Formats: sequence, C-alpha cells, structure tokens
Amino acid sequence: MNIHTYEKVWLIAALLLIVGFIATITYGSVGLGIAMIDDSEETVEPSELDEDFGEPRVEHVGENEYEAYVIAQTFIFQPDPIEVPANSKVTFYVTSRDVIHSFSVVGTNINTMVIPGEVSTMTAEFDESGEYGIICNEYCGSFHHTMEGQLHVVPEDEFDMTELSVESDDEVELGNETTFNVAVENGMLDDLETTVTFEIGNETTEEEITVSGESTEETTFTVDSTELGEGDHDWTVTVDDYEESGTLTVVEDLEEEEENGGNNDE
Amino acid sequence: MRISKAGLLVVLAFLAPVLVELRTVLAWVNIELSVLETAIIGGIIIAVILVWAFLPENGDEEGAERDVSNSEL
Amino acid sequence: MSNAYIDKFPAEAKVVKAAFYSSFLALALGGVFGVIQTLHRTDIYRFIDSADYYTVLTAHGVFMVITFTIFFLVGVFTWAVTTSLDRGVEDIRFTWSWVGLMTIGTVMAGVAILAGFVDSIDISASVLFTFYAPLQAHPLFYLGLVLFVVGTWVAGADWFRSWWAWKKENPDARIPLPTFMVLTTMIMWYIATMGVATSILVFLLPWSLGWIETVNPLLTRTLFWFFGHPVVYFWLMPAYLLWYTMLPKFAGGKLFSDPLARVGFVLFLLLSTPVGIHHQYLDPGIAEGFKFIAMTNTMFLLLPSFLTAFTVVASIEHGARQRGGTGYFSWLKSLPWRDPVFAGMALAGLLFAAAGFSGMVNAGMNINYLVHNSLWVVGHFHLTVGTAVALTFMAVSYWFIPQVTGKELWNRSVALIQVVLWFIGMTFMTNSMHRAGLIGMPRRTAEPQYTGFEFETAVGSVGELNAQIALGGVLLTLSLVLFFANIIGTAFGSRSDNLPDNGYAEALSGSDDAPRVLDNLKLWTAIAVVLVIIAYSLPLMSIVDRGGLFGPDITAFPANLESVRFLAFAVEHLGTAALESAGTLAWNTLPEVIR
Ligand code: HEM
Ligand SMILES: [Cu+2]
Ligand SMILES: [Cu+2]
Repeated sequence: MNIHTYEKVWLIAALLLIVGFIATITYGSVGLGIAMIDDSEETVEPSELDEDFGEPRVEHVGENEYEAYVIAQTFIFQPDPIEVPANSKVTFYVTSRDVIHSFSVVGTNINTMVIPGEVSTMTAEFDESGEYGIICNEYCGSFHHTMEGQLHVVPEDEFDMTELSVESDDEVELGNETTFNVAVENGMLDDLETTVTFEIGNETTEEEITVSGESTEETTFTVDSTELGEGDHDWTVTVDDYEESGTLTVVEDLEEEEENGGNNDE
Repeated sequence: MRISKAGLLVVLAFLAPVLVELRTVLAWVNIELSVLETAIIGGIIIAVILVWAFLPENGDEEGAERDVSNSEL
Repeated sequence: MSNAYIDKFPAEAKVVKAAFYSSFLALALGGVFGVIQTLHRTDIYRFIDSADYYTVLTAHGVFMVITFTIFFLVGVFTWAVTTSLDRGVEDIRFTWSWVGLMTIGTVMAGVAILAGFVDSIDISASVLFTFYAPLQAHPLFYLGLVLFVVGTWVAGADWFRSWWAWKKENPDARIPLPTFMVLTTMIMWYIATMGVATSILVFLLPWSLGWIETVNPLLTRTLFWFFGHPVVYFWLMPAYLLWYTMLPKFAGGKLFSDPLARVGFVLFLLLSTPVGIHHQYLDPGIAEGFKFIAMTNTMFLLLPSFLTAFTVVASIEHGARQRGGTGYFSWLKSLPWRDPVFAGMALAGLLFAAAGFSGMVNAGMNINYLVHNSLWVVGHFHLTVGTAVALTFMAVSYWFIPQVTGKELWNRSVALIQVVLWFIGMTFMTNSMHRAGLIGMPRRTAEPQYTGFEFETAVGSVGELNAQIALGGVLLTLSLVLFFANIIGTAFGSRSDNLPDNGYAEALSGSDDAPRVLDNLKLWTAIAVVLVIIAYSLPLMSIVDRGGLFGPDITAFPANLESVRFLAFAVEHLGTAALESAGTLAWNTLPEVIR
C-alpha cells in the first residue's frame, strides 16, 4: 500500500493531536485533580431513602467543610434552597427518589446525572457568596421544565446552622403559670454562644446560652398569667436572626373558652 | 463577472458562519459587536464581494480577495 | 436510452425508491416537529401545551435519527451493493420483507408516540429517543423498535448474501469498495444492536408488559449507549460512503486512495462500539477508569475521520484540477458549484469539520461537565447528523431520485438554493445553541425560562440567542419546503432518457494497492468483538453487581397503562410467534453472514 507523503504527514499530525488531547485530559484529571463522578458511593434503595440516605440536609463536617445531601424527585430538589457559607468546600451527595434527573448548578461545573439507586458525589469550593440556580437537565416527565432549585452561598459571617423551636401553650387559665420551652439546635461543629431573648407583653427576658457543636440546648421561660392579665398577649423568642412568635391567651376559665376556639398554632 | 453565479452564492453562504463565528470569537477578546454592528459589517463585506465579482475581468488571475474568501473551503 | 440505475435494476430501483420516500416522509414529519420545538422553547410562538413538548421531541428524535437516517441508509446501501457487485439482489421478495419489517416497526413506534397527543387514547411513549427507564413507554413503542431493528438485520443479511454469491463467482477479486463499506458498517451494526436488543427484549419490553416488576436504570441506560454511540456512526457511514465513492465523481475526478478508505472503515468497525461510555461521563455508578478507557478510545476514533477529511479534500482537488483548476486555492473556483449535489455535499462536509471541534470538547472527559446535557450538545449533533448526514442525504437525493425514478430533477436552481439555505440555517441555529449551552441552558426542556434565576450571557442577551435559534429553525424549515417541492416535482415529472449514468468514482490508487488483509472481514469482526468485550464486560458486571440485574424497587413512570394488560395478552400469543419467525430468519442467514 503506498501512502502519499502529504497523507503520511497528515496522519502523523492527527496522531500527535490525538495524543495531545489525551494528555490534556489526563493532566486535568491527575494534575488539576478534576475527579469524575464515579462508583465510590454505596447504592441506595430509592423507596427507603430515609434509612439509606437520610433526610435532605446540609452537614458541617470539618473546618470550612460541608456535606449537602440532596434528593431529586419529580419535579423538585430538596433541600431548597441549599445554604452553605462562602469560603467553604462542599461535597454534594445527590440521589433520586424516582426517575433519572440531573443536578446542575447553572454557571458552574457542578453537573451530574442523578440515577435512582445510585448516589452521585462531587466536591466544589465556593470562595465567594452568591446565588445560583439549580436545574434538572435530564428529561424526567411532563413538568421537567419546572424542576429547579437554589443554591445560596451566604457570606461567611452571616452563615450558621442554628435552628430555633419553641413549644408553648396557646391558652392558660388566669392565675396559672405557663412555660415556654425553647430549643436551640446548633448544626455547626463549633460551639455557639448566643443570647435567647424572650418577649411577652412589655417584659423582656434574656438568657445567655452556649450550644456545643452538633447538639441542642434547651431553656425554659416561665410566665405567670396573673401578671399579664386576661386577654391576648403576643410573644416572641429571638436567637440571632431567628425568631419564633405567637400569641398566648389568658382566659378566666379554660373549659368555657375552648368552644370559641382561640387557636394560635403556628 | 469574475466568478460564476453559483460560486458567488456559495461564497456568500460561507460568509454566514464566518460572520457569526467572528462575532463569537471577538467576544472572547472583549470586542463586543451588537447584532446591528455585525449586520452592517456583513452588509459591507457582501457589497465589496459583489462589486468585486461584477467587475469586468481584466485578465488578471490574481484576485487576492478571491483566494481568501475561498481558502477555507 | 439512458444508463441509469432504474434501467439496469428496475426491481431494485423500486426498493430503493420506497426506502427513500419512507425516509423523506419521516424527514417531513420530523421537520414540522423541529420547528415547533424551536419556536416553543425560545418562547417565540407557543401553541402546544408544554407537557406535550416532550411528545413532540420524542417524535422529532425518533423520526429524524431512526427513521429518516436509517431508511435512507438502507436505500443507499442497496444501491451500493447492487451497483458495485453489478448484480441484482438474490431474491427480491426477501428484500421486500425487510422493507416491510422496517415499515411496520416504524408505524408501530410512530403510533405509540403520536397517540401521546390524544388524551382519550391510553397509549403514550413520551420517553424521547433514548427511552431511559424508569420512564416507561407503551409496549407498542418497544415492539416497533424491535421490528425495525430486526428489519435492518435482515437487510444486512440480504447484502451479505449478495456478496457471498458474488464471491463464489469471483473468488479472487477484491471486494468492491462500496460493498466493503456496506459490509463493515453492517458488522458494526450487528455488534452494536446487541446492546439495545438486550435492553429491550430482556428488560424494557417485558417490564412494560408487566411481566417483570422493575429494571435497573443504570443497566438499561448503559446498554442503550452501548448501541447509542455506534448508531451515530451508522448514520454517518452512508454519508462517508457517498463522500468517498460519489463526491470525487461529482467533483469531476477520482477517489484519492482506495486502500485508505478501507483502513478508515475498518477503524470505524473496530472503535465505534467500545466508546459508548463517553455518553455517561457524568453517570454515578461507573468507575472513573472505565470512563478513561472510553475517552482514549474516543480520541483514537478521531483518526478515521481525519483520514476521511484528507482523502475527500484531496479527491475534490484532483477533480478540480481535472476540470482545469490551478493555483494553491484558485482550484476551488473550478469546482462544479452550480451542481446542487456537489455544492450540498461540500457544504455538509464543511460544517462537519466545525462539528469536529465541538465534538472534541464533548469527548474531553472532564470538560464534559461544562456542556453535558446542555444545548451545546444539540448544537453539536445538528452539525453532525443534522447537517453532515442530513444535508449530504438531501443533496445526493438530487442525483439518486432521478436514478431510481428515471425522471429528471424538477429544478436545479431551487435545489442549489435549498442546500445553501440549510447551510445558513444550521449556521445560525447551531452557533447560538452552542453559546446557549455554554451559559448552562439545558436541552430537552420545554421552557428554559426559570423563576428563581436568570442565565447570564457573556455577550448579547438570552433573547438574542433565542432569536438566532428561531431564525435558524425557520430557515431550515424553508429549506425543507424547497426540498419537498423539488422531490414532489420530480416524482410527478415524466420519464426522461437524458439521465447521467449510474456508477461511482474510480480510485487513483486502486484496490490492488490495498493489502489483502483489509478484506479479511472475519479477522476484523473478531478483533472488534474482543475490543467490545474488553471495554464493556467489567463495567456491565460491576453495574449488575451494584444494582442487581433488575435494579432497585422503583415504580414505572408514568404508572402502568390500562391497555397494556390486553396487549400483554395479545403479544404473548401473537407477537412471540411473529418475533420468533423473524428471529429464525435472521439466525438462518447469520451463518452466511459470518462465512
Ligand atoms: C427543520 C430542521 C430542524 C430543526 C428546526 C430542529 C430543531 C431542534 C431543536 C430545537 C431541538 C432541541 C429540543 C430540545 O432539546 O429541547 C432538536 C433536537 C433534536 N434534533 Fe433537530 N432540528 C431539525 C432537524 C434535525 C435533523 C435533520 C436531525 C437529524 C437527522 C435532527 C435530530 C435531532 C435530535 C436527535 C434531537 C434530540 C432529541 C432529544 O433530545 O431527544 N434534527 N431539534
Ligand atoms: Cu428533569
Ligand atoms: Cu458518542
């Protein structure tokens, strides 16, 4: 077989180009450390994600390191929005409850298929705060185009993983005492020092608390209804930027008032 | 005419990707042409090519432009 | 008296004509759906419900890349084998049988898809042409696909049969180049379709009939892509065949090198299949190493395309110089641009070169994060299959249709404008699709306008990108209208004696220069199979090991259809019988094929 000289040159050039491409890609993987989505995660049972995967959530796992556990299902992502701080390294774990979706953060390189039974993981670094849209770019059913979520990278000093919950009665009989049970959950690894502020009527009570990492601290405020007097009293509990509020009704006789149904459950 | 009518048509067609991609490439080096600007540039180039094509042939085979406009085929 | 194909092979000409007309019908339907999509997703004109968009998209995908391309392929291949072996098919009834199978298959799949528009009919198949489980289509859809593919298998057997008979009479002759191309392509196709055949017959069809409860989504997806990459070469190979064996002729010259053309096709046979995982770079559950292997194979698959580019350009240049062209570049002027067949094929090749660039980006494993499933990919394959293949097919139809109908082309000027319009339309549409993809705009989405954020363009605006996509789509539609006007005009014309002769290009460096081993199809088949086994056995085993053969417990989506139960019954009794006979037919011819 005789091959024309030009053709030989062309062939060699083409081969060099091909080898060059492979080298570039290999450099991207090895040199720059761009990892591919792979089979490093255990499989999960899509109908039993609660056990295998847990709730959709963000976890603080190390200094500036977070893990986001995301569930895609027709036609939403959970959690939504996903919140992480700036200057952090976030590993996403994404799985599907039903069909194949994708998890694609628009304007970034975060892009993966989400296949039921499999967990996709990828790690990204967020140096600056910003808001990103998340879309599903794999057709997943008639309303595929409505499937979107948000990723909020909040400034570091505004970020926390505090959760505030308050348990209290809606009504109390005049003369009785009632208690407000306040629970402050700290999802971060570091301790949280903060103040719980409780306001009812025109009274304000403050309490300093320290919630250690990944735990919950409870505190109680006791209110004497005689001091408040009969009627509706608005209350709020504040911890940093979080606020819970409601109304406490002081009634003369609990049984009678019940029928009017003064319910303030929030 | 310096070029066959069909040749002219193909040259003009080839101009479409050149212009469209030129705009994309220029954007990378931060030269941003608006649609209107691109259209005007396109119009000028088309006019130049048409004028050149319809100029009477003077026996000179060396039309520099012709070579360039065809070269990437 | 002319010397056209129809004069020599009147019976075969009917088959080829039927295949072409079927493919054009699919092209027409696909085109209508294409422009609907274009206007809908850019929000320029919406008249369908967004939920129906996906039915439209399924129809566009299936009609374009299954029906249009493959029907055209079988027409070209039948022509290529009969012309280059210079003998008719062995048994014309056998030939019509595969045309029939393919047609029935298309109708079944088409009905299942289009029924999705009618709420009162409880049949739908809005699963797109990739039909990823757990999305589920009506069994009719899968059955249709099976029959269609079986049809192509039988067609392949038909061509092998011709070659086999010819070989008996010409024991020492080299396989004529067009036949060689057909046979290598078909071997690739037999290997490739094992993937979908397994996926459909073992998993999806029984599952849609309710015989099995669940499937492993990653497994069926991987089996799909086992077939999904080689199928793109299946679309491309008839275009390559035409570029190698016809384009030099239209340019007025000869093929530059017959041996290198053979080398190219052998490389395609070897490398087309063990690369499918490059469509799954971003899939969980597949190890990085497997992806890396697919990536390197993919890059080497560039080689035969580079080879083709060289040979085709060199052959065209030779043609131009035969026609009196001179100079470094001025020979381009001497090419027959007035001929829509040549002009269309050359323009198609030009855009294919552009497609090569975006393809390299897709193939770059870690660069793929940027573009995967974005509109970039749609831009890419409208350059490859939507132009390199489709425009070549349309252009060459202006030569083929007169050959198989015996009628002169209705209007050459309209034809020239048509191919140029396609070129310009695709330029606009694909340029903006690529750019939209880079800013993250997804493909396969009815309304890529989101409530929570906006796409950020580097230059211009999203509105401008959309307008450009729509402009391209409209130009393409216009081009299609001109195409059909010309085809219909030709079909209703009267017989002419003034047709060009049937034939294909001779080679400057002929088959005598080609090493004998190139024609050893058994050897290449064996190597191809080994390569596939190397590339796929471990990934498939690992996928089955992880997720189980039938996968986790997930319900099909949309939930099982009513009419399925009746159909399951019917299929059990009738379908299996039909399938079996089709199967035996294929099996009986297989030994011949392998021989
Ligand atoms: C009139 C000409 C055409 C127009 C206007 C057009 C338009 C489009 C558009 C806008 C999409 C993207 C839809 C989306 O992802 O949301 C699309 C998808 C597609 N087109 Fe075309 N197209 C045309 C011709 C063709 C041709 C000739 C082929 C192949 C032979 C083709 C093959 C495809 C395929 C395979 C898809 C992907 C389907 C999927 O994602 O499931 N198109 N087309
Ligand atoms: Cu989706
Ligand atoms: Cu591929």
